[in-house]
Amino acid sequence: MLKINNLHAEIDGKEILKGLTLEVAAGQVHAIMGPNGAGKSTLGYTLGGRPGYEVTGGGAEFAGQDLLAMEPHERAAAGLFLGFQYPVEIPGVSNVQFLREALNAQRKVRGEAPLSGGDFLKLARAQADALGMNQEMLKRPVNVGFSGGEKKRNEMVQMGILNPKFAILDETDSGLDIDALKAVGDGINRIMRAPDKGVLLITHYQRLLDYVKPDVVHVLADGRIVKSGGPELAHELEREGYGAIAA
Amino acid sequence: MMANVLDLPSSRQEAWRWADMPALAAAAEAPHAPQDIDPATLFLDGVEGPRLTFIDGAFEPAHSRPGPVTIAAFRPETDHPLGAQATGEGWTLSLDKGAAVTGIQIVHLGTGGASHVPATIRLAEDATASLVETYAGAGWANRFARIELARGARLMRSVRLLQEGGFVSIRDEADIGEAASLVSIFLGAGGMGSRIDGALTLTGPGAFAEMGGALLTRGSQRQEAAVAVRHAAPEGTSRQVWRAVAADTSAASLAARAEVARHAQKTDGEQSLRGLLLDRTATVNLKPELEIFADDVKCAHGATVGELDTRALFYLQSRGLPEPKARALLTRAFVADAIDRIGGDAVREAFAEDADRWLGETL
Repeated sequence: MLKINNLHAEIDGKEILKGLTLEVAAGQVHAIMGPNGAGKSTLGYTLGGRPGYEVTGGGAEFAGQDLLAMEPHERAAAGLFLGFQYPVEIPGVSNVQFLREALNAQRKVRGEAPLSGGDFLKLARAQADALGMNQEMLKRPVNVGFSGGEKKRNEMVQMGILNPKFAILDETDSGLDIDALKAVGDGINRIMRAPDKGVLLITHYQRLLDYVKPDVVHVLADGRIVKSGGPELAHELEREGYGAIAA
Repeated sequence: MMANVLDLPSSRQEAWRWADMPALAAAAEAPHAPQDIDPATLFLDGVEGPRLTFIDGAFEPAHSRPGPVTIAAFRPETDHPLGAQATGEGWTLSLDKGAAVTGIQIVHLGTGGASHVPATIRLAEDATASLVETYAGAGWANRFARIELARGARLMRSVRLLQEGGFVSIRDEADIGEAASLVSIFLGAGGMGSRIDGALTLTGPGAFAEMGGALLTRGSQRQEAAVAVRHAAPEGTSRQVWRAVAADTSAASLAARAEVARHAQKTDGEQSLRGLLLDRTATVNLKPELEIFADDVKCAHGATVGELDTRALFYLQSRGLPEPKARALLTRAFVADAIDRIGGDAVREAFAEDADRWLGETL
């Protein structure tokens, strides 16, 4: 479903990804773990198409399409969702307004009819309920005044509304207390565990993997995948540290 | 009356350094050309009240139902260089104690050349009025308004500048009495040059004065606001919230001044001037000024110019919004700070739509 082949990417002329190869099949959840500075977030942003993240070699294919040739919004319309480590606060733009415009922009690209205000609100409320997010927060400006945990829940509400085919979730577990962690984990399973969907879970700690069981765990170090294995690899990393594994 | 030789302020004067007087002079001399605009379409639906149409500064009874607003020629008493030229046929709204007239709409349609209209708004004690003005077409529209609010009177005024070209100059001079309230919000979302000029004086204790808005410029257009609020009585509140958005090689300029007299204690002033550059070739000029002689006052002030937040832009794009839409959404939010201060829902929504239309065309 997602095929990354020998990907090289740099920021401000500094190479961060140095030939990363990875394939996630439909129906699978892969976890990417690695020490700080390994290039985990860079991988997410590069696949999402963030300006400033320049691909200097290799490629990435998503559902048979050349992912890197698409604009960020086209990647979203193709079914890619990027969950942010630090969701951005946007004063003056309400969650519902932004998400409805975003969803309908995606539907337009896919040749689907726009969702009416009423239908959208029904969908948004159901997703907020499922994630334990107060419905009042849907009306509030995007992430403004939200706690760290609320921001991450909001990412999951957005994912539920947009219903992507593939999610790249960058440190979605950071800053979460145990209740929020469980809610987010349940959300990922509910929204993304399906035979035709896939997830790339970027995380520093094994914690979230107690709730979202990965099929494959990869270790990312210095811009490359240095080791891959089953869920037991995550425990091994937690026990022995990245130093021993990535060396 | 068409002035043959225009007596215009020089850009060497500090208060006029950003003023685009050449554009004003060119608009004044522009030949009249029929405008493909039906003035009736310039009135807002959903806002019921008296309606007045001025075409090239002349009152059009056929397109008006003025209600309590009267029409007569007069010469305003002002030493303002542009305001003093606004002589001739003008309008007056004079309300008795406790009277209320809401939803007054005035449309100014220009076809070219210079047009001058003076106005007087005089609200007696506890009288209330709301007013929407729309400028469309071309030419130089020069307007002066003298506003007098007696104790407890309230005026909400919303002005949108939608002329395709030419120039609009507006000069307001207001005295706001005890516990009276004046709110004037401006939106410059056309292709014309503009100068919005105001001098508001809080003459009675507990008065409220607000003048603000959003100026949106593109191409080589220049728009500007220059407003001074003077607290001459204690316990007054003033708000000057202005937003400037500039694209291409255009320039938007905001000068706001707040003066607090020695005895105007417990003054609560806020001045917020913010500029957004949509292109690096555009210009936003900001000039916040405070002159405070009282010692027990609160005057918040801020002035910033920046570009759209690239992180926010990418966040929106990553959710499926094409870049122009994402830029429009962020810019709309920026402008909303000023437009949201309009009290009536229908008027506020109409102004937001005008801003949206501008954003759709520009981004």
